[in-house]
Amino acid sequence: MRSSPANPTASEAALTGTVFNIQRYSTEDGPGIRTTVFLKGCPMRCPWCHNPEGISPKPELVWYSARCIGARDCLKACPRGALELTPGGMRIYRDACEACGSCEEACPAAALEVIGKKRTPEEVLDEVLRDRVFYEKSGGGVTLSGGEPCLQRDFSRELMMRLKEQGIHVALDTCGSAPRDHFRELAGLADLVLFDLKVMDTELHREYTGIELERVLDNAEWLAQQGKQIWVRTPVIPGHTDSEDNIRAIARFIRERMPGVERYDLLAYNNTCRGKYERLDLEFSLAGEPLLSREEMERLCAAAVEEGLGCARWSGATRLEAAEGEAAGAEEGKGG
Amino acid sequence: MEASEVVAPQNIWKPFEGLSPRVSRLREEYFSFEKRDYFRNEVMPFTTGMPWDEVWLPPLWGVVPEIYAFFDAYAEGLKALARPVEMPSGFWRNSLVMRRALFFREVCRRGLPVKILDGELVVGGQFNTALSLCLNRREARRLKRAQKRWRKRADEINSTGMGNAGAVPGHLIPDYPSVLSLGFRGLKERFGRMREEAGDRGHRDFLDALIVCCEAARDLAARYAEEAERLAAREPDRLRSEELAEVARICRKVPWEPAETFHEAIQSLWFAHMLVMAAESYPGPGLSPGRVDQYLYPYYRSDLEKGRLTRENAKEILQCWWIKHNYAYDYQGRVGENQGINSSFGQLITIGGIDAEGNDASNDLTWLILEVIEEMNMLEPKPNVRLHRNTPDDLLRRVAGMIARSQGSPFLLNFDEASMAGLAWQGLPKERLWDYAPVGCLENTLQGDDRSGTVDVNVNLAKAVEMVFGRGRDMATGKRLGPDTGDPRGFATWEDFRSAFETQLKALLDRVLAVSDESDSLRARFQPTPYLSAIVGGCAESGRDITDGGARYNFITVEGIALGTAADSLAAVKKLVYEDKRVGMDELVRALADDFEGHETLRQTLLNRAPKYGNDDDYADEVARWLSRTWTTSFWGRVSPHTRRKYRAGYLSWNYWIAYAPSTAATPDGRKRGTHLSNGIGPVDGADRKGPTAVALSVSKLGLETAPNGDSHTISFTPSLLRDEEHVEKLMAFLRAYGERGGTALQVNVINPDTLRAAQADPQSYRNLMVRVTGYNAYFVMLGKAIQDEIIARESHRL
Repeated sequence: MRSSPANPTASEAALTGTVFNIQRYSTEDGPGIRTTVFLKGCPMRCPWCHNPEGISPKPELVWYSARCIGARDCLKACPRGALELTPGGMRIYRDACEACGSCEEACPAAALEVIGKKRTPEEVLDEVLRDRVFYEKSGGGVTLSGGEPCLQRDFSRELMMRLKEQGIHVALDTCGSAPRDHFRELAGLADLVLFDLKVMDTELHREYTGIELERVLDNAEWLAQQGKQIWVRTPVIPGHTDSEDNIRAIARFIRERMPGVERYDLLAYNNTCRGKYERLDLEFSLAGEPLLSREEMERLCAAAVEEGLGCARWSGATRLEAAEGEAAGAEEGKGG
Repeated sequence: MEASEVVAPQNIWKPFEGLSPRVSRLREEYFSFEKRDYFRNEVMPFTTGMPWDEVWLPPLWGVVPEIYAFFDAYAEGLKALARPVEMPSGFWRNSLVMRRALFFREVCRRGLPVKILDGELVVGGQFNTALSLCLNRREARRLKRAQKRWRKRADEINSTGMGNAGAVPGHLIPDYPSVLSLGFRGLKERFGRMREEAGDRGHRDFLDALIVCCEAARDLAARYAEEAERLAAREPDRLRSEELAEVARICRKVPWEPAETFHEAIQSLWFAHMLVMAAESYPGPGLSPGRVDQYLYPYYRSDLEKGRLTRENAKEILQCWWIKHNYAYDYQGRVGENQGINSSFGQLITIGGIDAEGNDASNDLTWLILEVIEEMNMLEPKPNVRLHRNTPDDLLRRVAGMIARSQGSPFLLNFDEASMAGLAWQGLPKERLWDYAPVGCLENTLQGDDRSGTVDVNVNLAKAVEMVFGRGRDMATGKRLGPDTGDPRGFATWEDFRSAFETQLKALLDRVLAVSDESDSLRARFQPTPYLSAIVGGCAESGRDITDGGARYNFITVEGIALGTAADSLAAVKKLVYEDKRVGMDELVRALADDFEGHETLRQTLLNRAPKYGNDDDYADEVARWLSRTWTTSFWGRVSPHTRRKYRAGYLSWNYWIAYAPSTAATPDGRKRGTHLSNGIGPVDGADRKGPTAVALSVSKLGLETAPNGDSHTISFTPSLLRDEEHVEKLMAFLRAYGERGGTALQVNVINPDTLRAAQADPQSYRNLMVRVTGYNAYFVMLGKAIQDEIIARESHRL
């Protein structure tokens, strides 16, 4: 935490991570049936982020309007006067709110939630090991995602090591931007790395993510030499990453610099995260953006294949065209 | 999702375009009830003509409370329509069982119409009877009295939402393999030999009645043979004429003689099967063929080896036979789009599973039947696939692939290890367990000699919670249902509360089981069914009718309703009232009495702050396990006094989780009166928030062997979770893990809510959309709106 002085004794006594979700029967974050542990905090600021609650490293309070019954227990419980129930809904004074959770505890209707809870590795382990039988039968395991798990280096390391001791397959889902030694240490522990490559233009990368592309590519090249199982993923975002040139550039980079990559996934943009932005009082600049069409996804996928990346495939929700009635139901698909 | 996930009607699973013209036409003919005035399998009542005669016995329908109000009208209506069957002089001097046998034979000889449809390869279609009970005046008077008493008690338990009970026909697997291998002639000879050795006159008379029934089957088949010969003679098409001649030959032979070819075996099986429905006057429910891929396989293989049959011929014969089962529905033809609760009769066919050595038993017929299931897309017969530790990957992949594509599961999946553990717990012989098969929806039994009354008794577990708060009274009417266990406000500890609950649970079970004792006895005394007794092992040997506990293995199953609702209610009281003290008992008592009106804060606390079963949460799951083990074992050892059939437990909520919602008061899990109860062993709708693996693990903690009947569990997947091979592989792994750690049976629905809403708005286009409800398949658009909404709500709560 930014302002609180470090207390080495306390942190040694209880290593904790800030976890904002533990998702079971996760089928999109690596092979088999998995549990994904989402860790808070990300160095990038991508405008399309579909987990905006994972960006800030700090716990954040959100309010679900549909659940609120107007019981007002939260107002009484808040020690900082950070809440106000207005005719337009709950106002959260974020400068005052410390996300202490008093209101969440007081609310009978679960309308308030602190996103991001302090959890010890043991607590997380207890939960993720429950699905062990499903991992074993499916060749699945546990994925650390976020946010960017490398930002919580000590916690991530501890959790990964514990999982490895248990013989669980561990995947690290990373944006590729982390201090080199953090990245190398955690990627080194993972059985599989899910590595994001978003934009191959240096300027645009800086503009969209706030991070230098070079740092990401450095980590990518190092990773490619470690003989790890690697899946590269690109979020295909209208007007941002969806140019054919961009996809071709990424595909070429993978072919030339990351030859061992097992799989390249093009993930079609979706806008189901709109509510999350509203609840966090954040602006979602892409809210009005229509979904991509099947044709566009297939064309981009074909372009990647053409660049020599036979392992390319795509998935995600696409637009349902009127004339596409026949193909309805296949709105999720894959190519390559 | 912004992207619409509506699946266009033409993409709903539909019959295979490559069906042979014959099969395609026969299938369409079945669906054209309105146009099919020349052939309808509607109820045909037959009477002795005596003024006191009865042709319909309401206690058989005790588990269908929605028709209680029509009992009298229905019984009278059938009597008015009944065709008198002239019986020879001396008829009334016979015993009741012999009268029933003679009457049945006469109906087979002269009563049942005989009609062969154009193109049929398997014949026998009009079997829906209401047969005279053949009672004499004195018996009829006794029945009337006993029935009146039963009716009053059945009304009491049903109207207060405690449950219901009836002596339901069907729901067993007759010994069809013996019919195939010995023929009814072989059975008759066996009964004749037993007659020589029978000790008493009653036993000899009973065996004589069985012999009469064997002849009845022979005589009906002969009439079909004559009809086929008649049609063959005037058939201009040479090929069809030859087919009819072959049908005639087969009907001259089976089911009287042993079947030798695959075609003969199927025809013999169908005659034997349809006559059970005729004899019980019950079109289909739960009467199950069992492991057909096992006992038909020798005929199939031998024909293939001898070059008498191709795989394609066999498939067409299977498909012709398949259609036959659906005619059990014809009686609904005029009712139209009703509540849909009878949408599936559960003539359950089982494929796969293990052999006596524990090895995988699947064979080419297993695979052929999967093709038939996929190509036909019809409600009946209902397929069940037995999965086990060593189910081959390719078979599991085929099954998972069909589930993924099906838009509504075509299968029940039964898990051998957990199912067999339950049957072992209930004391069935270990060496027989490998050959078990479920009947009806999912109820596990042995094949051939086991009647387990699998849907005879239904108890609403959530009602026992209400009875604690009502101090033994129904909270709506004030009627006394159980003892006064005292004011809950006086319970100092959780243990006090739990003990009151146990007392009420016991009272509830006693009340409902007492009604079951009566219906069981009524059927045994007034409706012997000698034809069925002839083909269920143990009856001939014991000299007791199937209705009188004559089968070798006899149980009556008590199905628990609302396990999840009751468990969550108990968990909420334990945690919030006694542990956290966040909720005061005083307020809870008032809130439940007020149906939470004015207590929304409390209701939300109960909904959101208490642990819920179905989330792999050990606290809630432990309460659920305690509840499950407690109620299922509390009556273990109790027998129905008249028949000595032993009560056992199971979980099959059928439609009662909806039907008893209005008669169950608000519950401490935050549920208001009228909100649906939980279904089967599933969690309360919306209470499970951690996905299918968590639900599966919660189920695995229940210790389900004490509910050996089998346990209804439905999991829904949206199509996107199963969109490609990679995801189908994940489903396969899920199923393997479920088999290792989960429950006994699983039904997987693959459907999205938008498609269901589209179907609700446009039923015509979605005629083929099939969903699984509780334990049966139904065409979605045929379901009542309440059930449709329920399914949509469940699917909207995405896993």
